[in-house]
Amino acid sequence: MKLARNQLTLNGKTVSFTDGETILTLANRMGVHIPTLCHDPRLDPVGACRMCLVEVTGFNRLVPACTQKATPGMEVITENARITRHRQTLLALYMTDHPQDRNAVEKGAPNQLLDLAEQYQAPLNWGRMLPIRSARDDDRNPYILFNADLCISCARCVRYCAEVERVSAITLANRGASTTVATADNASLLDTSCEMCGGCIDVCPTGAMTEKMPLTRNHKPERELRKVRTTCNYCGVGCQIDLNVDDIANDGRGMVVKITSPPPGTTVNDGNLCVKGRFAYDFIHHPDRLTQPLVCNENGELQPTTWDDALEKAVNGLQAVAKRYGADALGFVSSSRCTVEENYLMQKLARAVFHTNNVHQCAAT
Amino acid sequence: MAGLVNTFGAGAMTNSIGEIRDADFLLVIGSNTSEAHPIIAMEMKRAVRRGATLVVADPRAIWMTSIAEKHLQLKPGTDVWLLNAMAHVIIEEDLIDHKFIAGQTENFDAVKQTVADYTPEQAEQITGVPADVIRWTARRYASTAKAGIYYVLGITEHSHGTDNVYALSNLVLMTGHLGKPSSGLNPLRGQNNVQGANDAGASPVFYPGYQRVDDPAARAKYEKSWGVSLSPTPGLNLNQMMKTTGNKIKAFYVMGEDILLSEPNVLHLERALNNIEFLVIQEPFLNETSRFADVIFPAAIYAEKDGVFINSERRVQRVRKAVQPPGEALADWEILVQFANRCGADWNFPGPAEIYNEMVKDVPRFAGISHERIEQTQHVPGLSGIQWPCPGANHPGTKYLHADGVLRGKGLFQAVQYRPSMELPDTDYGLILSTGRTLYHYNSATQTRREQGLSTKQSEAYIEIHPRDAQKRSIAHGDRVQVKTRRGSVHVRAFYSRQVRSGCIWMPFHFKEARANILTNDVGDSITGTAEYKVCAAEVTKLETGKKDTLLFPGAYFVER
Repeated sequence: MKLARNQLTLNGKTVSFTDGETILTLANRMGVHIPTLCHDPRLDPVGACRMCLVEVTGFNRLVPACTQKATPGMEVITENARITRHRQTLLALYMTDHPQDRNAVEKGAPNQLLDLAEQYQAPLNWGRMLPIRSARDDDRNPYILFNADLCISCARCVRYCAEVERVSAITLANRGASTTVATADNASLLDTSCEMCGGCIDVCPTGAMTEKMPLTRNHKPERELRKVRTTCNYCGVGCQIDLNVDDIANDGRGMVVKITSPPPGTTVNDGNLCVKGRFAYDFIHHPDRLTQPLVCNENGELQPTTWDDALEKAVNGLQAVAKRYGADALGFVSSSRCTVEENYLMQKLARAVFHTNNVHQCAAT
Repeated sequence: MAGLVNTFGAGAMTNSIGEIRDADFLLVIGSNTSEAHPIIAMEMKRAVRRGATLVVADPRAIWMTSIAEKHLQLKPGTDVWLLNAMAHVIIEEDLIDHKFIAGQTENFDAVKQTVADYTPEQAEQITGVPADVIRWTARRYASTAKAGIYYVLGITEHSHGTDNVYALSNLVLMTGHLGKPSSGLNPLRGQNNVQGANDAGASPVFYPGYQRVDDPAARAKYEKSWGVSLSPTPGLNLNQMMKTTGNKIKAFYVMGEDILLSEPNVLHLERALNNIEFLVIQEPFLNETSRFADVIFPAAIYAEKDGVFINSERRVQRVRKAVQPPGEALADWEILVQFANRCGADWNFPGPAEIYNEMVKDVPRFAGISHERIEQTQHVPGLSGIQWPCPGANHPGTKYLHADGVLRGKGLFQAVQYRPSMELPDTDYGLILSTGRTLYHYNSATQTRREQGLSTKQSEAYIEIHPRDAQKRSIAHGDRVQVKTRRGSVHVRAFYSRQVRSGCIWMPFHFKEARANILTNDVGDSITGTAEYKVCAAEVTKLETGKKDTLLFPGAYFVER
């Protein structure tokens, strides 16, 4: 079979690649799944975890799909007995110093290493090593917890911090089995260049980097929560976020217990979030929330009342002013924080119901 | 907004956020991107990592300058000088796009004449940016094919904000950096739905989709659609409403804004609010303004309702209800429907999708977008959501504007002359005060200050002051100081910072116990009414010596210890 200059065979099928494309990107594009641990499309490939090794005709050894560029005429095999045996061995080695009890491990985020070990039926009886990575248990930062026992040194967090957020607040330290994720002088993240974007949590495959709050509050693990895709309510980038909801909590009204980002490449934010988008959600269920309409009584105090009464007083109040001074004595202030539909209704209320164009919002620059 | 509508024909980012990573030259002006739009900053970091040239023009040495090729540290409010001088260089060295100017623009000669006087040498005197740096930037901008400009409120929050936007538009038009990927002129929106609120017609001069209220044809269309007669007179903009509160304006219906924290010169507004007859507020929390309210409606927040937001790049995206609102709180749209019907209207909307459908019926550029279609984009490869213009159900949406010619028909050059900011330093008030947002808080901070973690990082109001200015006033790093302007004063901590220029101070506006907007000047831009939050004259005096050990400051690595 004659192949064109930009073609190769992937599991026996002829496919076209683009210049500079790696085997992994090509396979993903073709819908062929290759397991990875250290890879993330936002990061430079490093070929560290060895999970993505595949067979390429002409190479004696298996090659990492994430770093190997596609070349013309290459014959790539992504699944066979040799590759499976390699993955089982690799996972068994990873598991020797990794906790195996899923309930204990997945209090927060799901653990991809356990998933893979299960999928490939990796032997778990190769003896146990005690994890000897050091943590920073006294880090007083409010959001990010590093559970060293779950770390597999894939350095996704460190590379994200350096390559995407570009603050390099965390680094790999020590060697061999002691390799860990540290900060300069083991300082708290609060005292480093960290901007608390939480990207390290997002990229971590095992939940070693994890969000503190849902753990300290004993919320359900992520696997048991319902994810609702929505748009972040802070700045104008329009990041897509997944509200992780516990439907039973909060007397059945549901509770947002954490926020996670959608996978990279699917939304405008490419899987990234900032400190506010990822962590500042406590206001949603804050006790200060208004739960009843309020009206001002004769003494100038705000009193709770019924919707019926509040609506009637408000309508009468505005209509009386319109009657006395004309509709242009009314001002309608809409909001760039509310939805498009609500802004439409606010301007329609001003224009069609009260006959004034005095409607604006704070951000018309 | 109005500026871009006038020059290009659409007030929005010309290009998309996803294109930033492929740009080869980025001019970031009046945008503290890494703090105000961290995700867009990540795209810029990615471009720089790829080898793109980043130039930051900002009075402060913000984080982005640490990865920039050049930092143009101009004096606040002198943007027109800088930009006109760049135009001067581009014309003088004949780096203009003759074909684009001839075919797609009008009024170029007026600009050519005006900027002839704006030499880089004189610009250096006024802006403080060296002439050769201005020249270098102009050359690189004009001669790079994929060159984009990104700006935010540092450009618009001036009494000459629209002039600034015109000066930027001129640069884009004369170099032809329009209607192409990774280029254009890109205002980054500060709130989740600024774009959507403007698009939906929350404006004194525009119906939905920027159809003017004083255009008889547009009015006739809406009179027919809504079945009522409509006022032909443009309304007051927010700045005008605030200034005439108590006189012209006798009652307000305020949805989702804390005007007493967000609007400039708030002490004046506070006195005026005593003189109005009725105030209705619709909010999820009590705020500063609610002290004056006659009626408060408890509103649901984004996690408790359905609808759409439109982001900076014109992408219409869904907001989905995840949990029930607390107590009897209702979604804003539900309250508005009930309110209108009590006033005798007959609004019958089962849900936001139906409201949306009514809106797009009269707005061709959204006509192809619906709640259902956005839903479908979730399940196909590519980014979710759809970018307007999208005139039909089979139209894929528009990644960048003006690809088939400038939307206005011809891009309009607008000659602008420099006008100084309205209030400049003098012997009584020797410093320039600018205000802005930080990474850790958001606007009036009703949301972010209810979050323990963020307050750990940044718990109290502060100003950034240059060590030289501070020492002149015997102020040490961390001291409590009084910041005073002609309108009022507040007490804050003073942090030494080399981020600010000497002669300038900077202050976040999030803290209600030290409201920056007691200080700010409420003079508005002549076209948009946007207030001059970025420049006013101020003075700082020491109150008491501060404790040094408790300081937490995000830019602390800039501080001299």
